[in-house]
Amino acid sequence: MKNTLHTVVIPFYIYAAISFLVATILLACSGTALTQHYFQPRLLAITHIMALGWGTMIILGSSHQLLPVLIEGNLYSRKLAQLSFILAAAGIPLLVYAFFIFDFGWPARWGGILVNAGVLSFVVNVANSIRKSQQENIHAIFVFTAACWLLATTAIGLVLVYNFQDNFLPKDSLAFLSLHMHLGIIGWFLLLVVGVGSRLLPMFFISKYTNSRLLWWIYALINTGLVAFVIMFLKFHGMHRLAVLPVAVALILFVRYCYCAYQARIRRQVDGQMKLSVLSVVMIFIPVLILVVISGLTAGASDRPGLEMAYGFTIFFGWITSIILGMTFKTLPFIVWNKVYEEHAGLVKTPQPADLFSSRLFKGMSVTYLVGFVLFLTGLLNSQVVLLNISSGLLVAAALCYNLNVFKLVLHERDHK
Amino acid sequence: MNVITNNSILCTVALAALQNVVDPELGLNVVDLGLIYQVDFDDPGKTIYLTMTLTTRFCPMGESLAAAVTRALQSTFPHDDVSVLLTFDPPWDHTRISAEGKMFLNK
Repeated sequence: MKNTLHTVVIPFYIYAAISFLVATILLACSGTALTQHYFQPRLLAITHIMALGWGTMIILGSSHQLLPVLIEGNLYSRKLAQLSFILAAAGIPLLVYAFFIFDFGWPARWGGILVNAGVLSFVVNVANSIRKSQQENIHAIFVFTAACWLLATTAIGLVLVYNFQDNFLPKDSLAFLSLHMHLGIIGWFLLLVVGVGSRLLPMFFISKYTNSRLLWWIYALINTGLVAFVIMFLKFHGMHRLAVLPVAVALILFVRYCYCAYQARIRRQVDGQMKLSVLSVVMIFIPVLILVVISGLTAGASDRPGLEMAYGFTIFFGWITSIILGMTFKTLPFIVWNKVYEEHAGLVKTPQPADLFSSRLFKGMSVTYLVGFVLFLTGLLNSQVVLLNISSGLLVAAALCYNLNVFKLVLHERDHK
Repeated sequence: MNVITNNSILCTVALAALQNVVDPELGLNVVDLGLIYQVDFDDPGKTIYLTMTLTTRFCPMGESLAAAVTRALQSTFPHDDVSVLLTFDPPWDHTRISAEGKMFLNK
């Protein structure tokens, strides 16, 4: 039984923290661009910083740490984990730079190739870890399937980059953006969050609740929705929005799973990190609601660019960000604690992992983030540039608090007093 | 708390030492958490055999908890060797938490 080495995991966290700060600063500098159509260089750059640099990098990092818990076996290769970091870390800035200057030449192509190679390393590592552990369980299946969907997403992204200049697809790349985006959001982020969350929430709550059968249903519904989405998108365009139905049912079942785990908890006290993580489960429904409105239940709604912007914002800055803000301070303190105090535990009194970061900064981050999120969403829906500017400032403040706390953690050393 | 032992007096001393080993996530010691299954003593000055579990297989803190248990016993019984066996048979469940542990978690 071996823990994944902290030197493998911590670089992912640092990279993600800096990406989050960069994305919020770019958002704060976007001004009136936020009230227009989403297909703009700056917004594409921000989206990819959030999706790859922030969401994917931190999930890749924590997955390398948590995979042994999920599959009840060791990580197959630390070198592959480091390779996936190096490749993705080199590829993401190239890709983002290409979007920012809207040039799909060599930076975009090499960025895409490097990101794909990094993801492929991750998929190989996950597959071999599961194969070697010989402990197939529903959580491991979730993670492996999510990794495959991520590879599909990045591969399609690379094809779209080439198609921007070479036009070999029957339609232009813009027509496939929805496919690319939803494979990533549902296939990668949602499957992984459900697979990992369904294991971690009961673990952190010390809950008696387990329900593999319900998780299998959720797994089947999400994948059915995804496959149906791909088929309908390619063959019966227009009907593809129906695929949201099985995914929405899966989300409701997942909320039920989390609620049951929460009710059956032995540990009564719920800390701030868990509260923020649980809040993210509720926040999944905001983009679903917006999607339903965009899909035409409200006449003329799809003409409002603010709704489409709000849809993307509530996914990347809402659901994905809230779960990361909470879970970072549940997982990273343990990694640092293991690094600093492992050899001293049992001999001298050691601090708890939660003592290694500043709770004041955490509270400051939570408040500025939540207020900033609500105000920004309001600003988007009402096209109010002043509100967007103020709220994006709050999001920058939240990212600063997050970064300060992450660096406080990773630079933590034992007090020898 | 239900620990099997072949020497109840030494076991009491060992469990007192192990109360200093705390699960970092819960803040509860490994004895009240019910992670210790068995503590057997060879002749004094030889080996202490401890069988323990974790709340979950491949717990990220598993390695450090087992090492901390070894160090706590070694500091209390400096002339003995310590052998720690991790087992998941039977797996840990919440019924193993002591009454004091449950009170602590319900705070």
